[in-house]
Amino acid sequence: MIDQYKQAFQEEARELLAELESALLELDQNRGDRDVVGRAFRALHTIKGSGAMFGFDDIAGFTHHLEGAFDRLRNGTLAVTADLIRLSLGASDQIKAMLDEAAGQGAADASRSEAILAEVRQLTGPAPAEAAAAPVAAGQTPLAETGVTRQWRIRFRPGGGVLLNGTNPLLLLAELRALGRLEVRVDTEAVPALDEIDPEQCYLAWDLTLETAAPREAIRDVFIFVEDDSELTIEAVSGAAAATPAPAKRAGNKPGGAPAQTAPQSASSIRVSCDKLDQLVNLVGELVTVQARLSEASARFNDAEILDIAESVEQLTAALRENSMSIRMLPLRSTFERFRRLVHDLAIDLGKDVELSIEGADTELDKTVIDQLNDPLVHLIRNSMDHGVEPPAARLAAGKPSKARIHLAATHSGAHVLIRVSDDGRGLDVEAVRARAIEQGLIEGTARLSEAEIFALIFEPGFSTARQVTDVSGRGVGMDVVRRNVEALHGSVEVASQPGAGLTVTLRLPLTLAIIDGLLVRVCDSHFVLPLANSLECIELTGAALEEAHGNHLANVRGEMIPYVRLREYFQMDAARPEREQIMVVDTEYGRYGFAVDEVLGDHQTVIKNLGKAYRNVPVVSGATILGNGTVALILDPHRLVQNIIQTVSLDRRHVGAARTRQEFEGVEI
Amino acid sequence: MSRETLGPATAADEAMAKTILTVDDSASVRQMVKFTLADAGYTVIEAVDGEDALAKLTVPVHMVITDLNMPNLDGIGLIRKLRAGPACKGIPILMLTTESQEARKQEGKAAGATGWIVKPFTTQQLLAVVKRVLG
Repeated sequence: MIDQYKQAFQEEARELLAELESALLELDQNRGDRDVVGRAFRALHTIKGSGAMFGFDDIAGFTHHLEGAFDRLRNGTLAVTADLIRLSLGASDQIKAMLDEAAGQGAADASRSEAILAEVRQLTGPAPAEAAAAPVAAGQTPLAETGVTRQWRIRFRPGGGVLLNGTNPLLLLAELRALGRLEVRVDTEAVPALDEIDPEQCYLAWDLTLETAAPREAIRDVFIFVEDDSELTIEAVSGAAAATPAPAKRAGNKPGGAPAQTAPQSASSIRVSCDKLDQLVNLVGELVTVQARLSEASARFNDAEILDIAESVEQLTAALRENSMSIRMLPLRSTFERFRRLVHDLAIDLGKDVELSIEGADTELDKTVIDQLNDPLVHLIRNSMDHGVEPPAARLAAGKPSKARIHLAATHSGAHVLIRVSDDGRGLDVEAVRARAIEQGLIEGTARLSEAEIFALIFEPGFSTARQVTDVSGRGVGMDVVRRNVEALHGSVEVASQPGAGLTVTLRLPLTLAIIDGLLVRVCDSHFVLPLANSLECIELTGAALEEAHGNHLANVRGEMIPYVRLREYFQMDAARPEREQIMVVDTEYGRYGFAVDEVLGDHQTVIKNLGKAYRNVPVVSGATILGNGTVALILDPHRLVQNIIQTVSLDRRHVGAARTRQEFEGVEI
Repeated sequence: MSRETLGPATAADEAMAKTILTVDDSASVRQMVKFTLADAGYTVIEAVDGEDALAKLTVPVHMVITDLNMPNLDGIGLIRKLRAGPACKGIPILMLTTESQEARKQEGKAAGATGWIVKPFTTQQLLAVVKRVLG
């Protein structure tokens, strides 16, 4: 390869010499022409530079001196003379001879080179001071490893304009990493407020700890292009890692590298009264509300400094909130485990063989929720033991194993926890429930109800299918207690059953009763909060999209048709619809649904306040929260909202016929 | 950014080979730079001087390597023009200097050069520096 370059240089140098000669001859006619001097200089410069590149060191060395003379002609410290032109032409011939020699044709007279140079020196005076030792250039210094791994602390703050100059500081860090183990800490102290940021400026600095066997020069070499404009310090960490090159990395933060003393194992937990915890959470709740006011006010003032503080407060509040909420979170395990004894004792009393299995006992729930969960669960398990599970003989007759099973499971679902109590007993007989409900006057004999609706009847006060009153249940205090307890926790109950195969009761409970992450939306003048945990995405609802759907309440989300509900229609708000609406797509247990709102305002730490008794029968609202400006926003329960809409549609279908349904909730399909 | 748009090469172009524009009036140096970089997987565009370089910037380039002493438009002038326009804002620009050109080096830096390579250099040195600034 190098021969190929040599060949190219030979040809090029000859062309350049021809150029030099013509320039020299022109210069002889017109000695003041700077442009021609420039041409001659460039020719010499290129011969020198390229010659050195491809191993023509003698030519490069010789040309160097001549180039120096022409440089001085160029900047006017030397005048063009006939002697100089004669000498230069001679030099040109000499270079040609040297090229011939290199190409294996003839030999150049080295003494002649000396003679020409001596004369040039006489004309120009001593050659301009050259940096004899070539300045260190990137990657060009042979840098031997010292063999000893040392630790270096490097502080690097590049100049602000470094990005515009094409430097990528990350590549420099990557290059350091190639030298050894590198710990990187970024310093964002100098980053200004968002509206003052110049995106083309670099505001970052880095504190680096490097363990390497490479010498200091090798580290400096990495920064060679930027060190002039940067703040750069490279310090050896004294004595560190010299003897112990490999492990004990933790010492990196401590000068001297002494291993950190492990503190004596202290108590890993302390007991705190629940009152104190409740008080803490209440205070955090108040803080979150005040913080919302601060953010609102600071956004209004639009002062960079206050915005900055408000943002810090917001972050701290969020962290504090999460922390204090997590203190109140307890795993369900101890609650679940308590039921083993209950099942065991009941099984003996009832003469049944039942095994309790538990799943998801590590699922955490707010302590308040757990405390109030015990009664409903006891009730459900008793019910399963008493009415659900058959005696062993009956089970065997039905082809089931004699040992019955009750399964207790907890899983997360968005901002909720689902707790399932299932048994493999006789299950619920839809017709029996229906007959019993008619008997007790709960429904009309002509009512047409779906299976889920019929099952829901077992939660009605006074409902019981038990043929006889037993010790355990069937005393008229039925499942309605379960529902009431769960609803007091803002939860809901559902029943699924297959006759002969068992019954599953699902309790749907909010993770916490105090504060949630919400998404604040606006419809007309009203604000609503949707739980963030359920929210999937936000899309635009444009006039074009409406047309495309032919008036149906369906939104096309990347090819998938998602039914949506206009909250303004649902809540019957009369105000002009904005041109563009936004749809929040939420995940409910009925699948994905959208809620069309006027505007999605953003996330909101939501302190849940209970609504008064007047609103107890509004299932779609799970509470309210106070916004920064003091107004109240209702917290919506997307699951209940969808449930309610589906029920409305099916009621409409039954009572009014299909006609009205079509216009109202075309998109919502069951 | 589409290929037709004249602007800094972006992450979208990353999948393709990175394009380097080498500007030098010395054919032999150009040849060496081109072969070395092409061998390392880069796409190389050649220009003989600053004017030629500006004319060849019809495609986005990821990096420019330019000599300083050139006819028509020299390296310093080229760097200034490149930095003034949108196409080469923020991309690495390396200049080829000789050890006697300390002042020129500073001038180049002030004009917006990212770094430099001192002539004479070897192919390994060239690749090391290109890697440092281009990744």
